[in-house]
Amino acid sequence: MAAASGRTLPDEGRWTPYLFIGPVAAYLLLFQFLPLVQELLLSFTSTSLLNPKGGTWVGMENYRDLVAGEDFRQSLVVTAAYTVACVVLAIGLGLAAALLLDTPFRGRGVARALVTIPWAAPPVAVALVFAWIFNAQYGVFNFVLRSFGFASGTENWLDSAHLALPAVLIATIWQIFPFAAVVILAALQGVSSELKEAATIDGAGRLSVFGAVTWPTIQPSVALLTLFLTIWSIRRFDLIWLMTQGGPIGATNTLVIELYRQGFVYRDLGRAAAVGMIGVVVALLITLVYFYVTLRAERAGDSR
Amino acid sequence: MTGASHGAGHLLRLAAVLGVLLAAAFPLYWMFVTSLTTSASLFAVPPRALPDPSQLGVYAEAFQTIPVARWLRNSLIVAAGTTVLSLALAVFPAYAMSRFRFRGRGAMGLGLFATQMLPEAMLVVPLYAIFADVGLLNSLGGLILANTAFTVPVITWILKGAIDGVPLDIEEAARMDGATRVGIVLSVVLPLVAPSLAATSVIAFFHGWNEYVLAQTLISQEGLRTASVGLASFVGELSTPVHSVMAIGVLYTLPAIAFYLMVQRYVVAGMTAGSVKG
Repeated sequence: MAAASGRTLPDEGRWTPYLFIGPVAAYLLLFQFLPLVQELLLSFTSTSLLNPKGGTWVGMENYRDLVAGEDFRQSLVVTAAYTVACVVLAIGLGLAAALLLDTPFRGRGVARALVTIPWAAPPVAVALVFAWIFNAQYGVFNFVLRSFGFASGTENWLDSAHLALPAVLIATIWQIFPFAAVVILAALQGVSSELKEAATIDGAGRLSVFGAVTWPTIQPSVALLTLFLTIWSIRRFDLIWLMTQGGPIGATNTLVIELYRQGFVYRDLGRAAAVGMIGVVVALLITLVYFYVTLRAERAGDSR
Repeated sequence: MTGASHGAGHLLRLAAVLGVLLAAAFPLYWMFVTSLTTSASLFAVPPRALPDPSQLGVYAEAFQTIPVARWLRNSLIVAAGTTVLSLALAVFPAYAMSRFRFRGRGAMGLGLFATQMLPEAMLVVPLYAIFADVGLLNSLGGLILANTAFTVPVITWILKGAIDGVPLDIEEAARMDGATRVGIVLSVVLPLVAPSLAATSVIAFFHGWNEYVLAQTLISQEGLRTASVGLASFVGELSTPVHSVMAIGVLYTLPAIAFYLMVQRYVVAGMTAGSVKG
């Protein structure tokens, strides 16, 4: 494919590809790369939101303060807990929903469309309605808990150091599991039904058919899904910010929330930029690890 | 397996499907029900489970007392602008990445992927500083420019995947007829990747419509607020009646859901054609 597509037309030179990618390259340099450099520079300064240009160079001070501070370390732990829970629960639920929607039944097409609706709902609206659902006195969530006799039915979910993170997670999972379901459902279309039948005839139970036939086929999609859900969870802002502002006492204070608080609540752009740089490094590290792991798995698969 | 246990399994599965659908639908249904609840029964126990049609006036009232129409208009401008600019920027590089072998292609691919991985909220601080510098704060155009930076990489990536699937012979035929490369891209290739164009338009549109953190930081002028920022100002605030706030939530959510349901076939097809597969 590479050889055939490399040919150029008589009316164009070898710079045509560069003309084609030039505008977008310039755009990304301007709106992604330049901000990134700016962020790196800002992170070495003490800069106030009120005077973005009047920063003074402080070297590594922002980073030192962050690492020494309790808030930042807690925020790393919260980010890790939130991210792992999001990925595991969204993929688990997504897989379950995809398997359910993969088997034929009447109205399956409608069901598939309906189940993806949460994914299309604007996060701000989701935060709004879940804050109302979790309202301590009038929220329907507590009403249901009380009707089933649970003691937690009187708790103030979003104001509780123990319950705020679970509440934010419920809202998040509700919003993102449909995406996992859609991706896994698409991957399931590639599962060979002959292999499945053959395995069933050989007497394999449902679980072992899943392990031997279904899982190997969908595994690459699930791996990539894991990467995307991880990165998205690390950078999710609106839902968490609007439901809890990172509180109470930092219980939902992820890296991105910490960044926003530093920059736009405490008005310390330098400190916020340092949080941002750490977040960028974490995201890139995860991407690298992902590629390393998948490449190794591919090689192992080839040599088999 | 006997017929009876097969039937029971089937019923169980249907019940599970219904459960998933109910869970997926409930929060948005609840937003709608709350918007159509009288002030008196807002705080009733048990909560009212069905919408009260006599309360439709809440919507008219919301339009009169809160600048919802202007917020929605601003959101529409940002979403449409982001869509147009993203596609205009992405089509030719997607074609080049798919069809040409050139020096720097690998670096470009890596750059596109890496920017997809950059957490956008993490760039809010420098974007704010830069926009303040060049006078792009408080401008819907500036917001469109910022949004597009986060949609272009993924859109280029999806379109490249789709163009990979267009057979070269079709282009060769047009070439014989003397078409230029630009002409081929516009009149031969683009129509063939229409589903992916639809999918990417939807991705860009939703990004612009939903986006909150950039709109919140880059815009402070009341009249330029988008619906996401306007609605967010009510979250957790109790002086505005809950049903009015939920009505605004419905007005902001409903167009997105309706639009999504109209195009969801294409989105799913287009996403799975190239995007997430990388």
